[in-house]
Amino acid sequence: MLAVILVLWGASMASAEVRTRIRIIEASNQGALVDPVLSDVHGQLGSLFNFTSYRLLKEVTLSLAGTRPVDIPVHQGRSVEITLLGEYGNLVELRIRVKRDGAPILNTHVRLSPQRTILIGGPRHGEGTIIFAISTRF
Amino acid sequence: MKESCPRFSKLLERYFDQEVTDEERSLVENHLQGCPSCQEGLKAMEGLRYLMKAPVDEADPKENFYWVWQKIERAIQQEDKLTWKESIKRWIDLTPILRKRVWVPAAAAIVILLLIITPYFYKKTPSSSEPSVVEYVESQTHNVMVYESEKGDVTVIWLLEGPAKEGGSQS
Repeated sequence: MLAVILVLWGASMASAEVRTRIRIIEASNQGALVDPVLSDVHGQLGSLFNFTSYRLLKEVTLSLAGTRPVDIPVHQGRSVEITLLGEYGNLVELRIRVKRDGAPILNTHVRLSPQRTILIGGPRHGEGTIIFAISTRF
Repeated sequence: MKESCPRFSKLLERYFDQEVTDEERSLVENHLQGCPSCQEGLKAMEGLRYLMKAPVDEADPKENFYWVWQKIERAIQQEDKLTWKESIKRWIDLTPILRKRVWVPAAAAIVILLLIITPYFYKKTPSSSEPSVVEYVESQTHNVMVYESEKGDVTVIWLLEGPAKEGGSQS
């Protein structure tokens, strides 16, 4: 009985999940549309970039646990792979890989504090550019 | 009341109370046909039964058993006055599940659940005081620009489209 309790308790301690939200945004100068669902990051985007239009293409919320990579496909052969590397106090360390046709075009390790967003942008998408907005909650 | 035949006296009483066997019944009934004395005895018994039963039947609908209800209510009131310890003891005595000590594994299950749930209550509280940091960034195909605001509230990694310098870009 004690062993069962300890195993379950250990499992509960080890299985802390990090909820990660990934938003794939198309930024362009075609029109002046700002997707209402991006209101929380619009100020940030507006202060950094000169785009006039921001459109949410896709939103994914993941529960990251362990070090198993999770791949999120984005169209035109691109994908984003996210791996939880660890938790350090109030920061989580993530490995983010942006891939094109399976090959990584960007490989980064970031430490993210909760409720903060990291923006990864640059890949072209039609007349605009793709921006990945990644934030965590735990 | 006329005396019935001594031989049939006991049997007649049992016949009246419907306690005879089929054989005895036919014996008594055959005898009754030819014995006025026993017929008289049987009639006397029926008359006696009527005399005893009639007043009871008459009184029964009128009786509301007030004293019985009073007694029951008193007993319930006494039950209400039980201390909490007595109530628990009585409840445990009456509950077969608890009498079988099933509560031991149930309590163990609750403890396990608490152990599992507790870490979630003591989980780190999200705080925005610590800045986000880019530990490492690398691209074999693109030039990369990293921008972090001084406060650490904005972090941007930008892939610059166009061929990267040989050997890629790393920071």
